[in-house]
Amino acid sequence: MKPDALIESYVADVVRHLPRRQRADVAFELRSLLADELEGRAGDAEPTAADALDLLAGFGRPADVADRYRPAGFTIIRPAEAPRFALIALIGVALQWIGTLPAVFVGEGDWLNRLAQWWLSWGLGAFWWPGILVSLSIVAALVGSRRDSTAEWTPREAAALDRDRISRPLYVLAIAGGLVGVAVLLAVVSLESVLPGLPRPLLDAFEFDAGFLSTRAPWALALWAASFAGLIAVLVAGRWSRGTRILAIAVDAGWLALLIWWATGPVFVSPLADSVTRGCLLLVAAFVVWDAVASARRLPRRIPAPAVP
Amino acid sequence: MVDASKHEQDLRKGVLVLAVLSQLRERQYGYSLRQALAERGMPIEEGTLYPLLRRLESQGLLDSQWQAENGPPRRYYLLSDRGAALYRELASSWDSLATVMTTLLKGEER
Repeated sequence: MKPDALIESYVADVVRHLPRRQRADVAFELRSLLADELEGRAGDAEPTAADALDLLAGFGRPADVADRYRPAGFTIIRPAEAPRFALIALIGVALQWIGTLPAVFVGEGDWLNRLAQWWLSWGLGAFWWPGILVSLSIVAALVGSRRDSTAEWTPREAAALDRDRISRPLYVLAIAGGLVGVAVLLAVVSLESVLPGLPRPLLDAFEFDAGFLSTRAPWALALWAASFAGLIAVLVAGRWSRGTRILAIAVDAGWLALLIWWATGPVFVSPLADSVTRGCLLLVAAFVVWDAVASARRLPRRIPAPAVP
Repeated sequence: MVDASKHEQDLRKGVLVLAVLSQLRERQYGYSLRQALAERGMPIEEGTLYPLLRRLESQGLLDSQWQAENGPPRRYYLLSDRGAALYRELASSWDSLATVMTTLLKGEER
């Protein structure tokens, strides 16, 4: 191939990656510049195909060169978020595969056929998860790119770094709501004496199991007391501390143990009320676990000092 | 072993735009500009320089024009008014930076 033809082919490959309206102009200039370069390198001699290939190899891959002609784009996934993004995407796919793939190998018949069917359904279908993550990232990046990236990070925004600072009015409301809730629950225990006018079936439905009331229920009072003590300490200090976080985690652990204990025996005399209550206990346990994990994540950690010899 | 060439490349990258603007106070086309920079001790890869010229032009820092002088038509670049203003600003920043760096490298106290 002649040097001119090599350059022509290379230039065509570069501009193929550029917007249509830019192609002719860039192609004409690039071809002229490469011809100048080639002539300059060859000096008085006639340039050879080897000279042209050497020049083009140094110039770079066509797609890379085209990238340099384009203005900087926008970032879809920030480098700092990329490892977590990849992990979440892969775990999502893996969980779907783990949940569906074993069924392929269970049972009689042609497992290869079932595997093919699985691949065309869940196998490939599981990639909806990374797909939706990327789509959401694109939307977030587009929204972010419209913001003024040069805007200063103000002290008011920086104040969000203090994640342990609380809104006192909200905590007052939360404590008051909690106290009302406890009062209602205690009232349910002695419903007949608090509201004697209620219909008999309703009173019967809320009749607690005697064993539950005497042995398993009283422990809730200690946990409630500890919870309120912690919340009041946070309210007074205006922020969470390591101590109050640890107390919250300990109380959550106590609640979890107590809820499991409650679920091992009857809570209400009525079987229907009892089964509904045990279902609700499961939900409460899930919330307690979530709260404990959230508290643990917010537990202030000391930055360890480096080892100094 | 530390790869010094990579760090040197990064160092040069930082002054690339200023170097190009400095040479485009006079009309030049891509190849002649590259030669001029190389002769003055600032070789820039052609694959980096030519796209950069187009990007600077799209930012309104350079004006360009096709002209045929003693050969095939070539695109000539020259600083625009905005480019000239930016050049003055960057040149002034460079002067301060060079003074600071000289002080730092010589280890003198300011």
